[in-house]
Formats: sequence, structure tokens, C-alpha cells
Amino acid sequence: MANESNDTVNVTINGIAAAVPKGACIIEAAEQLGIGIAHYCYHPGLSAPAMCRMCLVEVEGAPKLAPACVTTVAEGQVIHTESERARAARTGTLEFYLLNHPLDCPICDKSGECKLQDYTHAEGREHGRSVEPKRVLGLDDFGGDILYHGNRCILCTRCVRYMREIAGDDLLCVVQRGHRSVIDTFFEEGVEHSLWAGNIVDICPVGALLSKDFLHKARVWDLDHTPSICPNCAQGCNIKLDTRDNLVMRVRPRLNPAVNSYWICDYGRHHYEWINQPERVQTPLLRREDGTLGAVSWEQALTAVLARLQHRPGPLLVIGSPMLGNEDNGLLARVAELLGGGELLYRSAQADHEVVCPGFPALARRHDLSANARGLELFGFRRTGDAAGEGGLPAVGGATVIVLGDALEDLPAAFGHDAALMVVLGQRLTPAAANAHVVLPVCTFAEQEGTFTNVHGRVQRFWPALQPPPLARPAWQVLGVVLAGLGDGAPAPTAGGAFMRLGELHPELAGLSYEQLGPLGALLNEPVQLPAGKGA
Amino acid sequence: MGGNPGWAGETGEFGHLTEADVRGTTYVGARPPEGTTPGASCAYPYQVATRAPDAPLFEGPYRARLEKILSRYPDRQGALLPVLSLAQEIRGHLSPESMAQVAGALGLAPAYVRGVASFYTMYHKQPVGEHVIQVCTNVACNLCGGDDVLAAFLKATATEPGEISADGKYTVIAAECLGACGFPTAVQVNETYFENVTPDDVPAILERLAQGAPVASPAAPARGS
Amino acid sequence: MAYPYRDERETRILSAHFGDPAARTLAGWRQRGGYQALQQALGMSPEQVVDIVKNSALRGRGGAGFPAGLKWSFLRNDGRPHYVLVNSDESEPGAFKDRELCRWTPHQVLEGALINAYAIRAQHVYIYMRGEFFEPAQIVARAIDEAYAAGIAGPDVLGSGVGIDVTLHLGAGAYICGEETALMNSLEGRRGQPRVKPPFPAVFGAFGQPTNINNVETLCAVPHIIRNGAEWWRSFGTEKSTGTKLFNMSGHLVRRGNYEFPLGFNMKELIYDVCGGIRDGRSLKAVIPGGSSVPMLAAHEIDIACDYESVAKAGSMLGTASMIVMDDRTNIVKQVRRMVEFYAHESCGQCTPCREGTEWLARIMRRIEAGQGTEEDLDMLVDLGKNMTGTTICVLSDSAAAPVISSLAKFKDEYLALIGRAAPVAAAV
Repeated sequence: MANESNDTVNVTINGIAAAVPKGACIIEAAEQLGIGIAHYCYHPGLSAPAMCRMCLVEVEGAPKLAPACVTTVAEGQVIHTESERARAARTGTLEFYLLNHPLDCPICDKSGECKLQDYTHAEGREHGRSVEPKRVLGLDDFGGDILYHGNRCILCTRCVRYMREIAGDDLLCVVQRGHRSVIDTFFEEGVEHSLWAGNIVDICPVGALLSKDFLHKARVWDLDHTPSICPNCAQGCNIKLDTRDNLVMRVRPRLNPAVNSYWICDYGRHHYEWINQPERVQTPLLRREDGTLGAVSWEQALTAVLARLQHRPGPLLVIGSPMLGNEDNGLLARVAELLGGGELLYRSAQADHEVVCPGFPALARRHDLSANARGLELFGFRRTGDAAGEGGLPAVGGATVIVLGDALEDLPAAFGHDAALMVVLGQRLTPAAANAHVVLPVCTFAEQEGTFTNVHGRVQRFWPALQPPPLARPAWQVLGVVLAGLGDGAPAPTAGGAFMRLGELHPELAGLSYEQLGPLGALLNEPVQLPAGKGA
Repeated sequence: MGGNPGWAGETGEFGHLTEADVRGTTYVGARPPEGTTPGASCAYPYQVATRAPDAPLFEGPYRARLEKILSRYPDRQGALLPVLSLAQEIRGHLSPESMAQVAGALGLAPAYVRGVASFYTMYHKQPVGEHVIQVCTNVACNLCGGDDVLAAFLKATATEPGEISADGKYTVIAAECLGACGFPTAVQVNETYFENVTPDDVPAILERLAQGAPVASPAAPARGS
Repeated sequence: MAYPYRDERETRILSAHFGDPAARTLAGWRQRGGYQALQQALGMSPEQVVDIVKNSALRGRGGAGFPAGLKWSFLRNDGRPHYVLVNSDESEPGAFKDRELCRWTPHQVLEGALINAYAIRAQHVYIYMRGEFFEPAQIVARAIDEAYAAGIAGPDVLGSGVGIDVTLHLGAGAYICGEETALMNSLEGRRGQPRVKPPFPAVFGAFGQPTNINNVETLCAVPHIIRNGAEWWRSFGTEKSTGTKLFNMSGHLVRRGNYEFPLGFNMKELIYDVCGGIRDGRSLKAVIPGGSSVPMLAAHEIDIACDYESVAKAGSMLGTASMIVMDDRTNIVKQVRRMVEFYAHESCGQCTPCREGTEWLARIMRRIEAGQGTEEDLDMLVDLGKNMTGTTICVLSDSAAAPVISSLAKFKDEYLALIGRAAPVAAAV
């Protein structure tokens, strides 16, 4: 046992003696020791009203059970979370929770990630003793994406406090009192104009608050959860992509205390359908003598690319994508360098104003509605185009054009038909992209490992959540082979290796590695340090 | 009914007091709508028979009262209950529109105001009859026939609990303990307590109410103003 | 005199002017010795005033019986704004003393509050009065007007240089706002929900500042204690329960009303002699000695002294000394049902055991009363009562369980008589 220093106190929890931070509450201290204490109303990102009564623990010497979420640790405290008294209190309280709960599990979206289910399964009574009819509070549409099932609500008020403390918009309230209490908005007003409302669905411990988008869409135990980064603006919120059947079913936030805390905005949350693109380029394509694109093998395609690049005529235009990672765009920039340089451009949609999260101002929906603009700027790419992410490209007659990721959707069908050489590394074959001489199918960010650099220069990793079409490859891998063919050394076999290669080329990335970035990322030019805190 | 019209039935050893003596009406005197000293202006009866559902909330003398109320609390939120009470005093109940106006006057979110207003029993969210008759049926009055008094009022006004009578004059509600347990059954009609009420007293009480403001609240605005 | 009956055995200190309309006015109160105590207090240091109240061993009259002087001493001379709150939210079934104090002697309330404010260096007194008390409120409002006009409240109290403001604040119908932290939330324009303690009001009270909150009756005793001394107050009552108390006598008594007696007065004597016994020649079945939140006593248990210790020893609590007396015709199950319905109606809804439990208890009680209960229900009631006790932010949950548990312990036969019967027990109240 450590001596008491200025900022720790010694406590014993369930027989484990430890020094815990002074000023912490019991629930936090226990968490650090790996002891979970059941709770509903407590949330580390919100105020703690101690009203759900689930976290009552036995503190030796105190006559009543203490709520662990608001009781500060004191020197010498001996705490029991699993004593008979504590367990009996939880079992008794759980019975009250289930008293009027409609047991909708078979039709409730929260099933499988519901804390009422979990705690009841662990410690609740096997049979309810009530023979009274349950109260009926009905279904309410809160506007926007939010539905409210009053019958399922356990009145933990996380949603009400969240809207006030984090979203900065007091749109929800508890109406009435006692057993007639229910959550509601101001009559017909809804939550739709708040950009932060979607988080209340995540923090609701039960299935009272539901996303209309996710309603009856998938069972959570069928979902895979992959840590990723939201690609929809330059904030780089840490997220989880929940997938099934190789489709993104929903997006949820992942805790990063330095970036987005526990939250994401509704724009990012609901803007995932574009990741589930159905029409994908399935194989490498090469333009034949007759002018049509024909399927070829990777070897054939890359051989053709290298051959033509050796003699490439005209100026070089390279178009990158801020929806793809550093590894992809960085190696593309290297290709441009080896080819004698050229114009490096990218386009990104932009919003005309930022929307700051009032309760966590480091988080905002940024101007740039793409993930990696800062990353591209580091590699020498220059922004072009308008606020819709359209236009801004020069005429490409007689030029060599390499396009990565940008779908060229806004361009006329004739774009590129007069290019001397056009190589497209892309996902979809739009009319402009179909003018390419070579089309190489590459992954979206969701189908590969990689990193984005956010608006503050934070480099963050993402992991593959989806399977690409069988012949598609991560762009960094394709470009690695091209670079090898241009004499730049053996291709890096992993995304991490590609990232290290970028560190050799760009001092800002030097000293960072995938291990150091971990699940929470690190700032450019930051001294080397291990990733801190808890992860997903 | 006993000799003292202030309440029904026995009055113990103080039968010599007049109703005005007991209710203190002479002492209280006139309480003008703009309030008196600021400290005494946050507490006016807000369950009154005269009401104007469409009247503006914070104009004229009520503006002056609002200012006095606001001056008594360190922040505008502290004034919420007195201002809600003022709104109900003027308009008779708290509609969503009234709540929104109160919210605007205090710089609070309307949903927040709704949450607070809905917590309290005495803020009516629906219109109520001119005379809100609340009969205590809690234990001390219940032991002495409180349920019968409630039934008698419901029958005499031909209403169900919480409804408005056909002529718009009465709403009868069962109330929790009114704090007059020594004088069962206690009945509160708007701002006035009637004590020692039995079912036999009900017709006389209703007759008195029908005659119009029998014990006018000193603070009630004069009819027609 | 107590109201509306007088008994010569009473010791009328706080209630000396009940039924005397002239005592309401400032002039009338001064004639009766009013505001001398305030003048005296202003001539001492605040700490001296606190000491006198401490030495009197005056205990809070709002139900908890916490030593008032000790509570006053918790506030430090820290330069922060301090507040005095007067708890006039009297909503406990059976209690009707604060209304009498306010409507007969508003200046007594004011004087006690001002002395409290001086003693703890508070700049503002809020009198929180329940919304239903419109008439007493207008009387107290008038008294406040008079006090400001006479320089008794305001920037320079009685020329002392000390400034104390008084504001009367009406509630809006919520029993739970009588709980001290719920009262503060209600005063601050919030839903009247109790707060978690710690922090306690002396540290974090109204508007986040150090606060003293006292019951009306507690503060009404203070001027008398200052004028006559702590020892004088201790000469009444018992060693640990000093002074006099307003006893609120209700139910099936011949002479219901408020009576003021020294603490320690015998309950049997109070019921049978002072209040004239049970009306209509009936006999006593049960008494709830301290307002509906405390366990009930059976008829054979009432020969005890009415002080905090003795009633606790008898298995109940003195609370507000609100005695609800029930005769032999009383349907105990019906009355307990009504009490439980009261708590279900008044629960603020924060804590799940209370929010769900009170309504569940009420539903079970309704079923039992209607003859549809079972013996399992009786066991379940006890178990639910246990789960609702000691597990919530405030004790409303415990209070709801108390009548159920105590009536099951002492009147189980009444419950059993209803088990399995088709019709409710006839001709009972």
C-alpha cells in the first residue's frame, strides 16, 4: 500500500487495497481497480444526481448504504460492493425498475445492449411479484431521429441532463412528478434543430430513446463493432462502425477525452450511407484497343500503369481524396515527386460555419466536411473547388492525371477523354472516371487500416470494418507497388509500415508509429509518448 | 350552519370572533396588483375567481409587480415560481403559451419551465372552473368524513373530479392535507379555507360562492379590470 | 392561548396570542413585548446569540428534532452571502401549527427569523410558505410591509447598521418541498426535488450559499429564549427535549386543536383529559403520534411522555407532535391506504424505490381494502417496505413504508379480516 501522497487516498474495495486519486468518487475509484458498479443515472460525461439508487455500496462505519457515484473516497474507507446488503439493495431496486417496465425485449432495439437486461439477468429476481396492471405512458416522437417509449423509461434523466449540459439546449424535461413522471419536450417542439441530440439514444440505458434510423434494423448481437474515425468532418471524432452483412448499420461515438469526449454530432452520426456504396469497381480495368474498358489482372494493370508512367507526357495532375487516409494520399504525393512533381489538388465540401458543442467546446462540427484535409495539406496537396466540393479542376487535355478516391461525380462525361494518361484509383465508375486508361479498384477508408489527421493535427487510426470487393486493395498497397516500380524501394507490407515510410519523408510524422497512436491518436510534432487512458 | 360564516360548525371557545377577525381581512387590507414592498410582492393568491385568459401578462401594474419579484432573487430563475403564479393569477391557468411567455421573460428554456410548472399540483395546466373547490381527504379529515364531503360537493356541482361544471363555475378536486387538521373537513375554495365542513354545509357554501366573492381575496383584481 | 380550545394546564408561550386579532399588528405585537428580543440580540455578537440558542437545547420543530443552536453554529463568518429560510411548507398530515403561528402572530415568526439572520450573518430571509396558505401569506405579507416601514427589516435593522431583507415566497402544492433541500430547489425555481447530502445546507444551501433552514415553530421560540434566557427555556420540558411544544390534536377527539405543553407531557393525559377523550363515547384504537410519517401506536402504548426520547423508545417518533387519534370504528386498512396514496401522489419521482414503490404499495393496499388481497400480499408489503427504507435520497420513501409496516405489526387482524372477503368491511371510517 502506497503512503498517502498529496493526491491519493488509500481505500479498500472488496478486499483490494489501493491508492486512488483524491477527490474521486467511489464509482471512479472502483473502475480503476477493475470493479464495475451497476448504475443508470451516473455517466462520467454528465452530472451525477445519485437518483437511480443502483450504485449503493456498503461503506464500513456508515449506517446507510452510500451512492458510489457521489460519495468521495476518504482515507481508510473500506467499501464492499458485493456484500449481502449491497446485493439485496440492488435486487430490491431492480424489482421496482421492472415493476412497470413492459418487457418489450423481443421488439426492443436496445435488447442485447440494455443495462436493465444486464443487471436483472445478473442480480434481479427471477419472477416479478406484482399482479397490478402496468402504467401506460405511450410512444412519443421527439422530432428529428428520436423516438421515446415512455413505458420503457426508467427516469434516469441522463437525456435531460445531457441536453442541458452538453448539447446546451434545454429541450427535454421531466413532466409531472412521482409515478406519473415522463420525459417530454416543450409540447410540440422537438429536438430536431439540435446537432447533438442523437447522443441521447446512446446514453439511454434502456430502450426508451430510440433512433428512427436504426429502428428494427438489426439486432445488436449480430453487429460487429469496429473502432474508426468519423470521416464526415475534420474534427475526427472517434467512432465505432457497427456493421452486419458487410454494411454499416449505425455509427456510435467512442470515448476520446482529447477529441470528442463521449459524443458525436448528428451530421456525422447519420451520414454513413455513402460508405455502403453498392456499385463498386470489381476488378482492375484497362482500356483496350477498341476504346472500351476491359477487366484485367492486377499484374497486368500495374504493369501497364508503370509502363505508361515512364513515358508519361504532359504536365502531371494528381487529385487526392480527403476521405482517404494519410498512407494512401501520402504515397500518392511521393509518386508525384518521383515523376518530377506536378499539381496536387483535392476537393472537399465545406460548411459555412462551425457548430461547437457547448458542453465540450473542443468538439465541433468543423468547416471541412471531410476527414483528412489537414493530412493532405501536409503532403503538399492544395484545396480547390467550391463549398460543395465541386469544380476547381483545370483542363486536362494532354496531361497525365492520377486520381485517388475522388469520384469526379460533378464533372461532365467528357472530362479526361483528352488526357494523355488517366489513371483512376477509385471505388465507383462515374462517367468522368470511365474516361480513364486504367482503373484500379481501391478500398474506402472503412475497408482498410489507415490514419486521418484532424483539424488540430491529431493523427488517429482507423480499422477495417467492411470487406471490400474481393479484388479491391488499399490504395497505399497499390501505390507501394507503383513506387517500387519507380525505384523507391520495396513496398511496405503493412499500413503501419506505409505510415513509417511517410515519417521518413515528412518530419512532422517522424517519431510516430501505429503503436504510439494506439486507439486515441497523437498530435503531429508531439514528443513520443504512450497512448493514455482507456480505449474503445 | 354555525353562526360564523367564516367556516361551518363549531368554533371552539372563539365563537366571539368575527370571520374578519379570524381571516385577518381588516389587518391585511388592500393589496394592490402592483405589489407593496418588494419582499411582500412575491406571494399573492394565484387561485382567484376573476381571470382573463387572454390578458397580457406583464403590463401595467403587473409589470411593476414583476420587477419587484425579480429584484428579490439573485438570478432570474429564482423568480420562476412567483412569476408562474402571477401568470396563473392573471389568466386562470398555465397554458403552453403562458409558459413560453414566462420563459421568455426570465431567459429560461420553455421546456425547462414546463418541467417545473408540471411538478406542482397547484399550477393548473388546463382551464378550471371559477371556483376551485379542493376537499381534503387525507387521513385526519378522512377519519371525520372527508370522503363524504367530497362526494357531497361533486353531487351538488354535478361534476366529476377535476372537471368544470356545466355553468363553468366549479371544479371539485380531492386535495392532500391542507394543514387545518384540527378542523375537519377542511375545504379550500380558491384562496379561502372553509373549516369544519360537513356534507350538510355544502349547499350553504355553494350559495355563498354563487353570491360572488364572499370573502374577496384582498389581492383579487376587481371584476372587470 | 392555544386554538380553538384552552386548557389551564397549558403553558402558552408561542401560542399566547392565538385568537387575539390585535396581536397581528406591529403595534399590537410591540405592546405584547414584541421585538425587544430582536433589539437585545442586536446588542450582542452573533456568536453570543447562537450560544444562547445552543444552551437552550431547543430542537427543531419541523419533525427531525435536530438541535437548532447546533445547526446555527455550522455557519462560519466567511464573508459569503448567507441565507435564512423559514420552512412554512407545513404539509405533513396531522400538522396544523405553523398555519396558526403565521396567521395569529406573523411578527413572532418575523422576529425569530430576523434573530436567526443576525446570528448567522445572513443578509436575506426567505419565508417559504406552501401555496395553499394564501390567507396566512397575506397576513405575513402585511407584517413584512409593516416591518419595512418601521425599519425592522431592511438596510438598517432597528438602527443597528445590519441589513436584513425579508421575502415571502409561496410554494405551489408539493409536500416534498417541506424537505429542506427540496425547499431550496423550489426556492431557486426548480422542480422541488431533494438534493443528495452531503453537501449540507450550512455549506451549500440556497443559491449555493451557506444557509440555515428552520421550521416556523422553531423560530417562534427564539424571541422568547433570547428575552428570558436559555435556562428559562430549559426549565420546561425534559433534559433532552427542552421547552414547550404545540401539540396538533386531530382525529376522533372531543376537543381537537392546538395545545401548548412542555415536552414530556403525558400522552394519555393529553388525549383523555385535555382533549376530552374520544368522541361519541367510542374507545381508542390507535394514535399516530408525530404526523402520518411515523409508526402508529396501539391504544395500550400511549401511556408515555411526549418527548423525543420517550416516543422513540416506544417505537415511534414525536416528529411534529401531530397526533392523529383513531377510534375503535376506524378501518385501519382504509386509513393506511389513504396515507400511502398520499405519498404516492407526493413522491417527487427521482428515486426508483420511492417512485415505483409508493404507487405499488397503494395499489396493493387498494386491492386488500377491496377484499382482493392475499396473505402473500401481506408478506410482500413488509418486504417492499424494507426495500423502500434507507435506499433513497430523502425519507419520503421510508415515510410511506412506516404506516404499512407498523399497522401490519399491530393490526394484522384487520388485514386478515379483509383477505379473501368479497366485500369491504362495512360502516367503518
